[in-house]
Amino acid sequence: MPKGQVLDIKKNTPIIVVKDLAARFGDNVVFENVNFQVYKGEILVIVGASGCGKSTLMKIMIGLDKPYSGQVLYQGMDIACAEEKELNQYRQNIGVLFQSGALFSSMTLKENIELPLQEYTDLDPAAINTIIKMKLGMVNLAGYENHNPSELSGGMKKRAGIARAMALDPKVLFFDELSAGLDPVTAAELDDLIIKTNEALGTTMVIVTHELESIYKIAHRVLMLDKEAKGIIAEDKPLDLKNNATDPRVISFCLRQKPAESAEKRFYVS
Amino acid sequence: MKTQKQEDCPEHYNISFNRKDLSLGIHLSGQFGLKNLMIFRSDINREISKQKIQSVTIDFSEVCYLDSAAALAFVQIEKEAASQNIQCRLTNLNDESKGIFSVIHEDALILLPFKSDQSQYGFIHQIGQSSSNIAGEFRNLVTFIGELTVAFLYIIRHPKTLRWKDVLFYIQRAGVDGLPIVALIGALVGLIIAFMSFLQLKMIGANIYVPALVSFAMIKELGPLMTAILVAGRSGSAFAAEIGTMMVNEEVDALHTMGFDPVRFLAIPKILATIIVVPILTIYADLFGIIGGMVIGVTSLDLTIKTYITQSIKTIKVFDIVTSLIKAGVFAALIAAIGCQKGFQVRSGAQDVGKFTTSAVVAAIFMIVVADSIFAIMFYYIK
Repeated sequence: MPKGQVLDIKKNTPIIVVKDLAARFGDNVVFENVNFQVYKGEILVIVGASGCGKSTLMKIMIGLDKPYSGQVLYQGMDIACAEEKELNQYRQNIGVLFQSGALFSSMTLKENIELPLQEYTDLDPAAINTIIKMKLGMVNLAGYENHNPSELSGGMKKRAGIARAMALDPKVLFFDELSAGLDPVTAAELDDLIIKTNEALGTTMVIVTHELESIYKIAHRVLMLDKEAKGIIAEDKPLDLKNNATDPRVISFCLRQKPAESAEKRFYVS
Repeated sequence: MKTQKQEDCPEHYNISFNRKDLSLGIHLSGQFGLKNLMIFRSDINREISKQKIQSVTIDFSEVCYLDSAAALAFVQIEKEAASQNIQCRLTNLNDESKGIFSVIHEDALILLPFKSDQSQYGFIHQIGQSSSNIAGEFRNLVTFIGELTVAFLYIIRHPKTLRWKDVLFYIQRAGVDGLPIVALIGALVGLIIAFMSFLQLKMIGANIYVPALVSFAMIKELGPLMTAILVAGRSGSAFAAEIGTMMVNEEVDALHTMGFDPVRFLAIPKILATIIVVPILTIYADLFGIIGGMVIGVTSLDLTIKTYITQSIKTIKVFDIVTSLIKAGVFAALIAAIGCQKGFQVRSGAQDVGKFTTSAVVAAIFMIVVADSIFAIMFYYIK
């Protein structure tokens, strides 16, 4: 899907609808009244300072955690209160890349990618083998099928994680802290891979990150959560967010500043 | 991944074949993905190989869903056709389908793995590998014993550097928390010995020797042995898993870089705590063993509690108790040291932690039995 097309996202149908979502840890409210939609084919980046509930939101969206209240609708099915059977169905339609890759350390890359294919399809071993080679080729790891995760660098682990997440050609890919702990060059390579995959396969992507560079490069739309506001404080295209923001919290995030006086002043002066 | 017609995309697929002279037209409609890959691939392959043809045209105009696995299958169909000198063309691909085909790198499909599969190594190679592993393990053990000795000597010279808080913590973990299970097992073992010996001794009317047998067996052998095996299962495994997880999380490397000796920091408190608690647990197990025996003595042998205790005390010698405690102390040192050493051997991942935890328990129990045999012979000659 060409990028220009994706940017005109509102025309598309939403694939995930989040309605009045609230999450709590005990009595502590993480966020509440969170409403947004993920459109088909877009790259939605969820940003925010540490502790604002980005990862909690993602965990709820992938069905790992239950929200305090609200709904997460995927094709009309509410993930928040779905039965385990329905959730499993949903999980076959999504792929998740965890912060550290979460590759199974006791298995080779081939076995890692093989697992979902063996479990959810009736392909013969030869077909699975070819698909694994193709997936590894897609993430520039061709030839690494017999390597163990411990033999790979951080960036390679992330790429292998993407290959595993994409094993079943999911409709939606979730990424937690995409480029955390990676050097700028590797992070940029990963960004390119994300863009390439999104454009070629049209896969919808939800990315949790706080790497500014990545946000401007890959995001079609940015959603900003805030700890104090306990919810979404901004939702826009990345450059619009940077140029037109009036909220001091958004400005300080985009300019990588402390939410100090300077940002406050800028807000009130303007 | 879906094309513009996805809203009314039928779940099933349809393939129609149109044969004209030496050319075959294949018209596809519906969804093509992982779920039906095996079926449509074999359908198409069968049709292609049915009769001699020169060209195949696959029409994608009515395909409403295509995933990368299905695209890969078409690439392979194309290649197989080419190998049979059949010209194959994929037509009417829309932009999205072209995008999906663009991520398939044919080089990646034929590239051999950089690293061969380990199971393919030959017999000789495996023998060599195992021998080298065993040698490596022995070297590790010797190094660890050396490090442990150095750390102990350092602690003796600088007692303040010992983390007493940790020692107390492990005394609680390995000792206090273990009291109920040690008591239960001790009592049951005492009860079993009393019952079994009663069955034999009653035939010769020697019931009075049951208390002696129970206390002798408990104090000399079973008390220290059972306690040590329990501690190996409870604490030896816990030490290995704890240090192993710290190795995986690079916490041990952090200790190194902060200038701490991991052996002194992590292993010594555990070993010291175990050496302190195992002899105490052993006495506790002995006591409950005798009480367990007493239950049988009083209920089945018509002995009074007083007679039972007098008979037991008559048999117990100070030498036996002291040697039992020495044994317990040595067992404790073995269990804790092996647990810690196995923990430090963990290199990566959850599987390594499991492997070395198991190995810690097995090695500890083995060493306990070996040490017990040595003690049996040694104490016989000392006496």
